[in-house]
Amino acid sequence: MPASVRFFDPDIEASIGSGHKESTIEPVQRAPVIRPPDLPEFGKPPLNEVVLGVQFDAPAGYQQIRAGEVWKLYSGDFPQVQELPPLPPSFETFGPQASLFSFGPINGPMHNRFWFTSTTGDEIIQFQNDRLLHNWRKVGDQSNEYPRFDTIVTKFLSEARSLEEFFSSITPQTLRIRQCELSYVNHIKDCSIEKIKVSDWLKVLLFPSFEPDDFALSFRKTIRSSDGGPIGRLTCESSTAVEPSGRHFISLTLTARGVPEQQSIASALEFLARGRDVIVNTFAEVTTDSAHRVWERTA
Amino acid sequence: MNRLSGISLTGTTSAPAQGVVQALRNRDARVLITDRPSVWRADVVDRLNYLCCLPVGWNGYGAGPVNFNTANFALRVLESVCSSDTPAPSIVPGPSGDLQIEWHLETGDIELHIRAPNDVHGWFETVGTEQSGQEAQLTIDFTEVAHWIKKLLESTRAPIKAAA
Repeated sequence: MPASVRFFDPDIEASIGSGHKESTIEPVQRAPVIRPPDLPEFGKPPLNEVVLGVQFDAPAGYQQIRAGEVWKLYSGDFPQVQELPPLPPSFETFGPQASLFSFGPINGPMHNRFWFTSTTGDEIIQFQNDRLLHNWRKVGDQSNEYPRFDTIVTKFLSEARSLEEFFSSITPQTLRIRQCELSYVNHIKDCSIEKIKVSDWLKVLLFPSFEPDDFALSFRKTIRSSDGGPIGRLTCESSTAVEPSGRHFISLTLTARGVPEQQSIASALEFLARGRDVIVNTFAEVTTDSAHRVWERTA
Repeated sequence: MNRLSGISLTGTTSAPAQGVVQALRNRDARVLITDRPSVWRADVVDRLNYLCCLPVGWNGYGAGPVNFNTANFALRVLESVCSSDTPAPSIVPGPSGDLQIEWHLETGDIELHIRAPNDVHGWFETVGTEQSGQEAQLTIDFTEVAHWIKKLLESTRAPIKAAA
């Protein structure tokens, strides 16, 4: 983790330091994430959706009947609610038998998941009693521009702080974050032809004498700390897909998932920033130079 | 081939929503049923499911059931270190939603105290050696535990019943 990636919230620290309120919450955050200068940058990335979030211990004293109070924290900007099945727990572990897939979580009582959706539908807060996620996505005619990681992570920081303060108002406590997750979902389209040619876009798939009808691939790589130990994984999944109109495109999803150094929001944001770097670098590595020109790579 | 469809029920990604409040439609999506074949997995899953449903006060002192996330993490740990023919460990509930995974074999013992996800204390001892045992504080890398298991199984593959 680069030493320059740090988060700090002078407002929080001031309120604690001045003695206006007692808080069990650590002072953290708000400065923007520092983008490494050598990180590839695209003017028009083929992003369809970005999701970032955390998984934490179920808070003490909280019950699902209070989910409406959680919505009130965000309802000004996220006035629509939708109820969904819960996300099962997800953990990255390492050992010689660790496989690509994990099957069958243990059954047990689970809090429903709620989507709090913005008026335009392009942003969602996902909440359940052990998860908080923020999605940005293309909507409508797909012309809404990706607001960039820094913007999304700053919003998420504020949302996580609000949730932590809410839980703390029930019983003094902090979010004990066990895992962080960041996904970039890319839809790679070639509007000039009906059926996209995979090797024009993905460096890792070269078919010298034929073009496959479709494909699906996935790979993982370990994300390591500065001392070399594993702290998470990058998972890359790609396949051909088809729009309702029948036009084919390539779906390329990169997910960084892992453990923050500490269980705090600040530490989680550091992991997310690291995850962004890993995802963007890998995206640039697996896609072709000609694709980069289409997406207006500038760095 | 993927098709752009409705809402992602089990993933974190999405699809467009409609209306102000939408009701939950499909609870069946909670159930994932595919397993990897192994001699230990069915027993472990049954045991973890049982421990997650323990009544409050099961130990006579007000303890709650094993924490749901801790149980799921324990399963991920075992998936990382157990091969398909590893004998099923004993799994013992703790008083604070924690649990302990134990192998007691003729040649030695392994105990993994899973206090919470990413918070594991491991202990390994072999019979007949002068060493008093090894301890390890573990988070997500359980390679060392896999070595312990291999060491035990190389000496004997006959499990001894552990206290449950």
